[in-house]
Amino acid sequence: MAERAEASLLARVRPGRGARVAAVLRRLAAMPARDPFAFAGLTIYAAFVLVALFADLLASNPPLEIVFTKAGRLAANLPPSAEFPLGTTNLGRDIYAQLVFGTRSALAVGLSAAIVVASVGTIVGLVAGYFGGWFDTVLMRIADMALSLPFLPFVVVLTGFLGASTWNIVLAVALLLWPNSARVIRSQVLTVRERAYIEAARVTGARPWRILFIHVAPNILPLSFVYGAIAIGWAIITEAGISFLGFGDSTSVSWGYMLQDAFSSQALSRGQYHWFGPPGICIMLIVVAGFFISRGYEEVFIPKLRD
Amino acid sequence: MRLVLERFLHNAGALLAVTTILFFMFRLMPGTPLAAYINDNLNADQQRLMLEMFGLDKPMWMQYFIYLGNLVHGELGLSFFQRRPVLDILLEVLPNSLILTLTGLVVAYIFGVLAGAWLAWKRGSWVEGVAVPIVLASRAAPEFWIGMVLLALLSFNLGWFPSGGANSPGMFYTSEWQRLVSLDYLQHLALPVLTLALYLQGLPLLLMRSNMLEVMHEEFVVMARMKGFSQWRIVIRHAARNALLPVVTAFALGIGISMGGNVVVETVFSWPGIGRMLVTAVANLDYPLAQGAFLMIALVLITMNFVADLLYGVLDPRVRHGRAG
Amino acid sequence: MILEVRDLEVHYRGKAAPTRAVDGASFAVPAGQIVGLVGESGCGKTTAARAIMGVLPGNARCVGGEIRFKGRTLDNAAMHDLRWRQIAYVPQSAMSSLDPVYTVGAQLAEVLTKRGTLGRAAAQARAADLFELVGLGPRRLADYPHQFSGGMRQRAAIAMALALEPSLILADEPVTALDVIVQRQVLDTLRALQQRLNLSVVLVTHDISVVAYLCDAVVVMYAGQVVESGPARDVLAHPRHPYTMGLRNAFPDLTSRATDLVPIDGSPPDLADPPAGCRFAPRCPFALAACTTGTVAVGADAPGHVSACRRDGEADALRRAALEPATWQRSSISATS
Repeated sequence: MAERAEASLLARVRPGRGARVAAVLRRLAAMPARDPFAFAGLTIYAAFVLVALFADLLASNPPLEIVFTKAGRLAANLPPSAEFPLGTTNLGRDIYAQLVFGTRSALAVGLSAAIVVASVGTIVGLVAGYFGGWFDTVLMRIADMALSLPFLPFVVVLTGFLGASTWNIVLAVALLLWPNSARVIRSQVLTVRERAYIEAARVTGARPWRILFIHVAPNILPLSFVYGAIAIGWAIITEAGISFLGFGDSTSVSWGYMLQDAFSSQALSRGQYHWFGPPGICIMLIVVAGFFISRGYEEVFIPKLRD
Repeated sequence: MRLVLERFLHNAGALLAVTTILFFMFRLMPGTPLAAYINDNLNADQQRLMLEMFGLDKPMWMQYFIYLGNLVHGELGLSFFQRRPVLDILLEVLPNSLILTLTGLVVAYIFGVLAGAWLAWKRGSWVEGVAVPIVLASRAAPEFWIGMVLLALLSFNLGWFPSGGANSPGMFYTSEWQRLVSLDYLQHLALPVLTLALYLQGLPLLLMRSNMLEVMHEEFVVMARMKGFSQWRIVIRHAARNALLPVVTAFALGIGISMGGNVVVETVFSWPGIGRMLVTAVANLDYPLAQGAFLMIALVLITMNFVADLLYGVLDPRVRHGRAG
Repeated sequence: MILEVRDLEVHYRGKAAPTRAVDGASFAVPAGQIVGLVGESGCGKTTAARAIMGVLPGNARCVGGEIRFKGRTLDNAAMHDLRWRQIAYVPQSAMSSLDPVYTVGAQLAEVLTKRGTLGRAAAQARAADLFELVGLGPRRLADYPHQFSGGMRQRAAIAMALALEPSLILADEPVTALDVIVQRQVLDTLRALQQRLNLSVVLVTHDISVVAYLCDAVVVMYAGQVVESGPARDVLAHPRHPYTMGLRNAFPDLTSRATDLVPIDGSPPDLADPPAGCRFAPRCPFALAACTTGTVAVGADAPGHVSACRRDGEADALRRAALEPATWQRSSISATS
């Protein structure tokens, strides 16, 4: 009964769901022209996803296999050639293959961290912002605390002592990044809960959790999305840094592993730019894509930012 | 004054929280609780000393308070590998880290503020279209990778700078101060500073740019135009002065944040700083040293948060008088 | 005439067509008088005032017309010299118009030393005098803008405008942000100073009661054009343009007994694509077919009380009809839109 009343009230004070979805879709469709940055970001993501999916087809050598030249000699420190587009490492491994397979671990780290950060940040932000009270105070104090931990040193200590696994890196990144999204989402919730249709839903006696998830949550999902996109980049950069420091997962080939390998094998003094250049550029591209998208989506979903 | 006290308590609380987290983190590490302070590298006397100093035979909650008490006295234990007090080791490398961080930040912020203000001025021109993506890219590149590329290019290829360390081997100095002002030290400092500055300039630049764009639309800037002030006076005295507020805060915060980020840069350039010390300690499972280095970095970070809070109050009269907006 | 504005045209850059914020407005300000520039928000009155100052937003341009100050055409060069020294401005929101990081005294001194000829010490003394003039204690010179109340800030803004002894002041909604009692006080101060210093004032406002309280003459703007102008008493007592009649109904009137407020239905036209003929016609209860063709505007040199209405001859009858709330109900408006 309360829900029926709520629905009829909502129908009057709030545009229909269909109309809103259509409006968002229209804005999304107009994005390439209106916001070339966001479009470029999405294109970069799509390209990396395709590379990760078809890594086996794109690279013929397994990334850690030691390869030999046709003459049967160890193919070490080869410059780029038709057979090895980016040359080989000092131990005779195919750099191009490492780069291609590295995409997989980069996306795995980035996406899992993004999902954890976005979901934890969203739930905490929603609950803290909507219900307030001591719960809010405690959660925000914890967030403050997490933000005053030095980021990279914390990850170093955690992965260094807990063991070098991708999951520990994701865990560390998530532990330190959720407060950012939680805070912003909380303040967004604080404004959303004052809107007329939320008020209307409250007046008609809808249950708080229902209001929270049916009416408030959809409004802040775009923000979760933005923070997820930002977390992808952070996680990938952090994984690279940790691998570079030697605390990475040694069983999987990541871009950070490649950089560490190149650094410790004197690739710098030998001027092997084709070795340590590409992984850095890939990391940069994927992080920039995140920046571009968060910028673009902010404009699509939070129109007040448009000038 | 109330504000100062409030911010102080807030940051002191954060510090307490970090030390608490650290206490439990190191006790949850693999191995016995003793492993955090004692290992076979220490001789029997040293082991007994540690046992007493940290009350490792007492219950957890007592250990916690002993630990806090020791921290207050700067007692951080003995390094497993160097067999020296952790504090001594840390104080030896701390100046290197602070100098690196501060120089890098100063270079980055001077460049960033000027370039940001200039880009705001160039709003809508092709310069903006080219510059903003480049700045974003510089923020997106891993810090250590920028260092690697610079190292390969400027040190190994062109030979302009030494490739690592803080001083050339065989150099001898009569005092620490002499070492720090020697040309040799500055040459070693240049490349890590350049790396840090390249990586850090994006934030002040973008911040300054967007603040300037916002401030230029503010009514008081329009009024300054109406009063007939010179372009220079409007931009510098009114727009830039206001746009600078958040950037100054970001600078103070940046000291703390980049101290943490320095672990990778110091590693690339074998810079004997606190970040590299942390990495080595963790790699060697030297718990006391790792814990001490982490605490030191956290202390700098939190102190700088506090400084940033105070600075904001000094620079913005609205905050100084305890009323926002 | 201290200020003459002739066929002023200010355009804002738009997606397809420019928005004609001011579209051929003409009016004049006699020396030593307070002239009210009234109209709904978006009618171009603030834009016109800013065009006179020569300070428009980045996306706006003055594309036509002439502004003369004491007989001299105002161009950029002339304005560079006259700005604040001869023509000063009192902004709508004194809070945001004062730089938050300097004390109010420092900002007064800045104008006195950089645009005026005073030295530091003389500027301090003059700033104190100015504060006293507007009814503020000189001690408050050391305060920051945020330490002032709304009324005090507005007084400070008036002191700022008077700093260099200008002969013309443009005041943009100087009291809108204040509550009614403080409004009165600030308006009284403004009036007293105007008489004492023999100032000319252009008072931009949407509030017809402010005009009635303070102004000698009034210029009514609608959709970027002047629709009626004349002595304030005449225009308010016997409005001749239906828009002015509607405006009077829509505001509580301080001079006559308040009747029920009757809003004007509809909204001002899109100035990127304004209707032909009289711009008020789509909302006018008295519009005829003829009203939607040609152009109508009050000429620059029209003396006395003039109206741009096509049916100016029937003004008395229209005025009587306009007093009936029923006249303004949407259904009764002939289908001109």
